[in-house]
Amino acid sequence: MEEKYGGDVLAGPGGGGGGGLGPVDVPSARLTKYIVLLCFTKLLKAVGLFESYDLLKVVHIVQFIFILKLGTAFFMVLFQKPFSSGKTITKHQWIKIFKHAVAGCIISLLWFFGLTLCGPLRTLLLFEHSDIVVISLLSVLFTSSGGGPAKTRGAAFFIIAVICLLLFDNDDLMAKMAEHPEGHHDSALTHMLYTAIGFLGVADHKSKVESWFSLIMPFTTVIFFVMILDFYVDSMCSVKMEVSKCARYGSFPIFISALLFGNFWTHPITDQLRAMNKAAHQESTEHVLSGGVVVSAVFFILSANILSSPSKRGQKGTLIGYSPEGTPLYNFMGDAFQHSSQSIPRFIKESLKQILEENDSRQIFYFLCLNLLFTFVELFYGVLTNSLGLISDGFHMLFDCSALVMGLFAALMSRWKATRIFSYGYGRIEILSGFINGLFLMVIAFFVFMESVARLIDPPELDTHMLTPVSVGGLIVNLIGICAFSHGHNHSHGASQGSCHSSDHSHSHHAHGHSDHGHGHSHGSIGGGMNANMRGVFLHVLADTLGSIGVIVSTVLIEQFGWFIADPLCSLFIAVLIFLSVVPLIKDACQVLLLRLPPEYEKELHTALEKIQKIEGLISYRDPHFWRHSASVVAGTIHIQVTSDVLEQRIVQQVTGILKDAGVNNLTIQVEKEAYFQHMSGLSTGFHDVLAMTKQMESMKYYKDGTYIM
Amino acid sequence: MGTIHLFRKPQRSFFGKLLQEFRLVAADRRSWKILLFGAINLTCTGFLLMWCNSTNSIALTAYTYLTIFDLFSLVTCLISYWVMMRKPSPAYSFGFERLEVLAVFASTVLAQLGALFILKESAERFLEQPEIHTGRLLVGTFVALSFNLFTMLSIRNKPFAYVSEAASTSWLQEHVADLSRSLCGIIPGLSSIFLPRMNPFVLIDLAGAFALCITYMLIEINNYFAVDTASAIAIALMTFGTMYPMSVYSGKVLLQTTPPHVIGQLDKLIREVSTLDGVLEVRNEHFWTLGFGSLAGSVHVRIRRDANEQMVLAHVTNRLYTLVSTLTVQIFKDDWIRPALLSGPVAANVLNFSDHHHIIPMPPLKGTDESNPVTSTPAKHSSPPPEFSFNTPGKNVSPVILLNTQTRPYGLGLNHGHTPYSSMLNQGHGVPGIGATQGFRTGFTNIPSRYGTNNRIGQPRP
Repeated sequence: MEEKYGGDVLAGPGGGGGGGLGPVDVPSARLTKYIVLLCFTKLLKAVGLFESYDLLKVVHIVQFIFILKLGTAFFMVLFQKPFSSGKTITKHQWIKIFKHAVAGCIISLLWFFGLTLCGPLRTLLLFEHSDIVVISLLSVLFTSSGGGPAKTRGAAFFIIAVICLLLFDNDDLMAKMAEHPEGHHDSALTHMLYTAIGFLGVADHKSKVESWFSLIMPFTTVIFFVMILDFYVDSMCSVKMEVSKCARYGSFPIFISALLFGNFWTHPITDQLRAMNKAAHQESTEHVLSGGVVVSAVFFILSANILSSPSKRGQKGTLIGYSPEGTPLYNFMGDAFQHSSQSIPRFIKESLKQILEENDSRQIFYFLCLNLLFTFVELFYGVLTNSLGLISDGFHMLFDCSALVMGLFAALMSRWKATRIFSYGYGRIEILSGFINGLFLMVIAFFVFMESVARLIDPPELDTHMLTPVSVGGLIVNLIGICAFSHGHNHSHGASQGSCHSSDHSHSHHAHGHSDHGHGHSHGSIGGGMNANMRGVFLHVLADTLGSIGVIVSTVLIEQFGWFIADPLCSLFIAVLIFLSVVPLIKDACQVLLLRLPPEYEKELHTALEKIQKIEGLISYRDPHFWRHSASVVAGTIHIQVTSDVLEQRIVQQVTGILKDAGVNNLTIQVEKEAYFQHMSGLSTGFHDVLAMTKQMESMKYYKDGTYIM
Repeated sequence: MGTIHLFRKPQRSFFGKLLQEFRLVAADRRSWKILLFGAINLTCTGFLLMWCNSTNSIALTAYTYLTIFDLFSLVTCLISYWVMMRKPSPAYSFGFERLEVLAVFASTVLAQLGALFILKESAERFLEQPEIHTGRLLVGTFVALSFNLFTMLSIRNKPFAYVSEAASTSWLQEHVADLSRSLCGIIPGLSSIFLPRMNPFVLIDLAGAFALCITYMLIEINNYFAVDTASAIAIALMTFGTMYPMSVYSGKVLLQTTPPHVIGQLDKLIREVSTLDGVLEVRNEHFWTLGFGSLAGSVHVRIRRDANEQMVLAHVTNRLYTLVSTLTVQIFKDDWIRPALLSGPVAANVLNFSDHHHIIPMPPLKGTDESNPVTSTPAKHSSPPPEFSFNTPGKNVSPVILLNTQTRPYGLGLNHGHTPYSSMLNQGHGVPGIGATQGFRTGFTNIPSRYGTNNRIGQPRP
């Protein structure tokens, strides 16, 4: 077998290597024999594992592994002759070999221990995956470049299969009826845990071998089937075929045969196969097939099939140009650059630093921490006391925290520098986040409304004794939040004045000093001083506070007077209140997003445009567009027509001055004279005219003299 | 969305206005159909919610939210009809095109928030799984499925059709595409059905119905009530996956960002502009999408002190018009006062004063080419009179804004990014009377040739 092995290494690539690049497909007819061999070996391996399960019932696991390894080593030494052939092993290599041996021992101990616990079928399903499947699974789960949707699907199938095995496989259905040696267990998981504890404590149950002589035959089959044959056939096939194909063809027969044997092992049909006939038929109820196992086996087969298929990395390359021959050149370096990003702790540290730099994000962050702390205390306590109400309230708090997280991200992102794509900067994200937060609150208000209407029609009996401490706690947390946010509102003017144009307050700080406008602001007095993002977060906290107050009030009413109708009425009221408080936020955000003329600048801009009209030499203006881009940027564009005898730059200067005074800080002014329109009409006469004209021009140039003078 | 204001004072006038606008929209024949569908949708949703209550199934609730999303999309469709009829007002100077972007964004975000709510509910249900009654589960599924598909396929919802084409694919679509590709490898005959990009809404409707069918089966067979929660989570995740790319796309429009697919073309144009004669640098360039498809932008161009502003302006505008329909170009010079003091206002472009550090040395005689004050195209005198005339600049209030919204570039087979803009160009100039020469002004074909022309006109090189 060794010679064949060696010879194939040389023959393999020579036979397959045709012309051209890319994966080489060996004709499948030549591979058929290897595939058949592989399938057969896997079948035998399954037989061997089932056999060893039977063996493990009479032999202790440590003895079993010792005998197994000893036998394997004996045959392997005979076949491979490691001491007489090959190079001598250095000391360094000895250490490595020792490490490998220890690790291998631990793994096989765990493997066979698992076999004793959950039976051969489940062990086969969980353990018999080739390296390539495991590697691609891990790369999908833990790296960003998994290799396309197919791999993701494969990983999802794998996880579903494991979950199926853990949750839906009720191994106990039959086992309950049978007399299990260690009593019955609820599922494979508890089963495993139970015996793991038992194993760690006393590892001596059963060593009831009557005659070692009768075990020679089963041991030999196990050694040959599980260890030796499998090793040689695997290595041979992976040389002859691609590794991925080998894994794919290998996984299928082993899972199928595991399923078949799982069903028929104790059946009289397979009695001939079994080397140990001692096992009586009453054991047939142990670790049998269940629906969950079949489903998970199907998923395992699918996922092994998908994950072991060769990945197409080439799709990720970016086109960088064309070679002189005209073939496209791609750049595959993307992955390498992605991996060179900073480490996770450093990333966290950096972003924390960024968060704590600014007032807004710092407040949101602290409040988020407080909220999360409260949530987790609640969840923990709920789990501890097994109170469902507490846990569900904790989930509700987590749900609310998502709005805070979004607000935090928006506050963080809004300070990023402008890029090509975000040419005005990221400030507008705050407005979008405020809008989303407003929608969020509307959805919450809607759900509360619906539920309270349902409760009005059919008021349920409430268990109120748990509600009060929780809602008082929530109220305290939210009150802290309200204090912090409304406090911060006053602060932000001192710290970064001019950044909050939307407030009445900051106008008085402005250079042009027109504090006499009392229009525009329809929004409430509480949230007025903040940008849309902070307003959204603030309203969210406010809504939560209202919720806690409502719960407290309704609890008191129910406990004192027994008015069960108070609860839905309270929530109805709160829903309406939330809705009404959100409407101004959404309206303002909509206006900004629709590029409306900023209402608070309307009057100034009108007067500014009137002033512009009075500039000397100015004929008219057109397309005046002014809009608020973000809290700090008000942008504007305008086209101005002037007479042909004035200087454009002077006009630009004057108009810029006027509009800057009116509050527009990102201006583009296009000054047009009559000549511009003539040029434009000339330029758009058409391509053919221009071509003819330029040809004429060039011939004229070259004709007159050589120096391009016309 | 969002236009519902409930204020005490302007209430009556607001609702009056709303009613008036509604009448305006309802005058259109096409909107009747939408209103009819909306009415059916409302009854359907009502029944579904009732059945959700009676079956106690959260998966069906998650599926019902898709029906509610359909209602939003119908509203969006109405809004897009309304937008077509509206002209820009002084306050909304860009027009109302962005309203439909906002509507798309709001409805996708609302769908995702609904999915988030479902996730929260199902997390609570995992703790205590209630019993599910399968009585109306299958009926509800098929009513919702058939209604959703019917709405999707019979109403031509332009905003959503555009967004679902233009946005990046959702993971659901990717997986289906991957599966169908491998399926077409086995049965090549199916390639015409499966290989084109699947409509994400149809896909999520089918997938949700499939999940519900599995739920029904497992509950009927084995009383696995947890499957209901699991499939609710699956539907919620699919909703996220489907809606997320669309809300990202429309959100980026709302954030006034440059669409990534036009960056290449814009770069090319800006490079062209910066090689124009007299242009020193191009900066503060802001380009963003106004509605779905039309690009707006502003740019500052710094030119040499002796260059002719109006000519550079005309050339820059001419280049960028091919892509950007609402364009403002500010020309500026450094130190513009100094030559003005020296040589008077008109003669600023006679010859360059050779000792400016920041000026690229040029052959001195080029000034003569530029100093032709009339036009950059000398042969113009012999050419036939221009098709349109800008001779009365003041009256020409808005020759560049495109208002012909009736022919906006929606469903013209826009699979790839640049096509909307090229199709937009065909009608995008909105300049009356230019139609005769529009045929070859389609951006891509004539840019290189124009580029060549430009070289010959503007920058003769030795």
